[in-house]
Amino acid sequence: MKKKTTTAVLFVLPFILFFMMFWLIPFVYGIVMSVSKYSLVKGNQGFVGLDNYIKVLFSSSMYNKSFWLGMKNTVIFVILTTPFLVLGSLALALLLDRLPDRVKGVFRTIYFASYAVSVTAVAAVFVWLMKGNGGYLNNLMINLGIIDKAIPWMEQQPFVWVSLTVATIWWTIGYNMMLFVNALNEIDTQLYEASAIDGANFRTQLRYIIFPGIKNVFYFVLMTTIIASFNVYGQTRLMTQGGPGETTKPMIMMITSTIMDRNDLGVGSAMTILMGIVIVLCSVGQYYLTKEKEELR
Amino acid sequence: MRTKQISKVFLVIIACIVAYVFLLPLMFMVFTSFKGIAESVTSTTLLPRNWTMENYRELFMNTSTSPVLRWLGNTAVVTCAGTALRIVTSVLAAYALARLPVPGKRFILVALIWAMAIPEIVTFFPLFYIFKQVGGLNTFWPLILPSGSGVMCIYLIYNFLLAFPKELEEAGFVEGANVFQVLWHIVVPSVKPVIVTQAFITFLGLYNSYLWPSLVISRNENRTITLGIAALVLGENYTNPGLMMASTVVSVLPVMLIFMFANKYIVRGFTQSGIK
Repeated sequence: MKKKTTTAVLFVLPFILFFMMFWLIPFVYGIVMSVSKYSLVKGNQGFVGLDNYIKVLFSSSMYNKSFWLGMKNTVIFVILTTPFLVLGSLALALLLDRLPDRVKGVFRTIYFASYAVSVTAVAAVFVWLMKGNGGYLNNLMINLGIIDKAIPWMEQQPFVWVSLTVATIWWTIGYNMMLFVNALNEIDTQLYEASAIDGANFRTQLRYIIFPGIKNVFYFVLMTTIIASFNVYGQTRLMTQGGPGETTKPMIMMITSTIMDRNDLGVGSAMTILMGIVIVLCSVGQYYLTKEKEELR
Repeated sequence: MRTKQISKVFLVIIACIVAYVFLLPLMFMVFTSFKGIAESVTSTTLLPRNWTMENYRELFMNTSTSPVLRWLGNTAVVTCAGTALRIVTSVLAAYALARLPVPGKRFILVALIWAMAIPEIVTFFPLFYIFKQVGGLNTFWPLILPSGSGVMCIYLIYNFLLAFPKELEEAGFVEGANVFQVLWHIVVPSVKPVIVTQAFITFLGLYNSYLWPSLVISRNENRTITLGIAALVLGENYTNPGLMMASTVVSVLPVMLIFMFANKYIVRGFTQSGIK
């Protein structure tokens, strides 16, 4: 018995060490930084209590302005992308589910392939697909006579949001789709056949067979999508550099510029912790939402 | 029966249109990389009129601004080491948590769930500062070592093992095999789809990650391919779409090849990861 415990400890130990070094210690250190005056160059300059948080949330400083602007931009991005990424991926999965078995695999691979591309590649491709001047989409549409003047997809709002949303959907929808594909596979096909004999159409099946069957995966996908969209950084950094103006600067970009450009690790950490709290609250809310519905059932 | 056939054909047509939309950006990337600059900024067709290798030549020749082969080499080191590290630590820990009497097991499991709920970004800047203090910036260490803490990976393998019958392993012990033999010959083969999926997702994450490497790597020759291309996208070849697409093709090709290879495992692994 004692030997077994020793083995157990030895097996868990490597992970525990890495977890402490690269997750737990930085996590606690981040909290310490957020209540200190901390700079990248000078290091710790003493405990300041909740000053950094107050600066970010309430005072009329530039930090306060960037935090709320970043929050606003991030929330816009979440609202724009989440419906497509959740309902769109479900639609794709339903489409795949109904295709003949022979071609299923090919289409699944095609729809999932873009997920393997890096954010850098996504940005590079979409910049030149969408660019106002010399972009492929504008060239094509002008040539076909659909529009007579180039649309500033990358230069002016609200078009820039459209470009960012389209690029993000193309890039990440495949992952959600895979989760739904597998959830749909678990539904007993006899249920479809039986209900079809009873004269159920697709909408009735969707409501009474499909949705109950994939409900948990649906909430999981919804939650992870919101969280992922909250963490948006690469697309905006590489496609728009936060512009035009600062309209597409998300939270993470505000945090990086606070820490790397303004050299303020304390305030930046406070912003990060606040962002973390918002995301954790999202997950917790989601968890209780799912749970409550289950109890009602 | 007849209407069912027709509706199948209709669905396949829709699937083809959707597939075209999905493939369009990739085709655009590949074909534009073979266009000269004058053609690429005015082009209204996907296919180039004059095929040219000029972009690739420029990309590979100009080793001071775009040391592509160096970047690919760096990426190979970082992704392989990081993925191996994560899979080894995760399989060991997940097996121990699922089958062996680990002291404080409940506490560890609760910590895992909390760690999954808290976004990565919270640890990035403190970790960056730690690496800066110990002189780890511009080395591979900050890119590789954090992979050892694969919380999600452990949780998924752990869940899979819980649902998996342990009779086979017990039979192995009765036969006189030691714990490593059981792990290697019985446990690893049975969780293979989950491991391959997690390995692929870890590999992809490391290959494609941008924010973290951009914090810890600033020297050009130490960049990973994703980071290097990002620098090109933001700077030198922003004005030349053909060159930009050539660099993008080079960065996407390795990952696509691996994707094709791992595809069949990934589909199974997703099913067996047990997100229900």
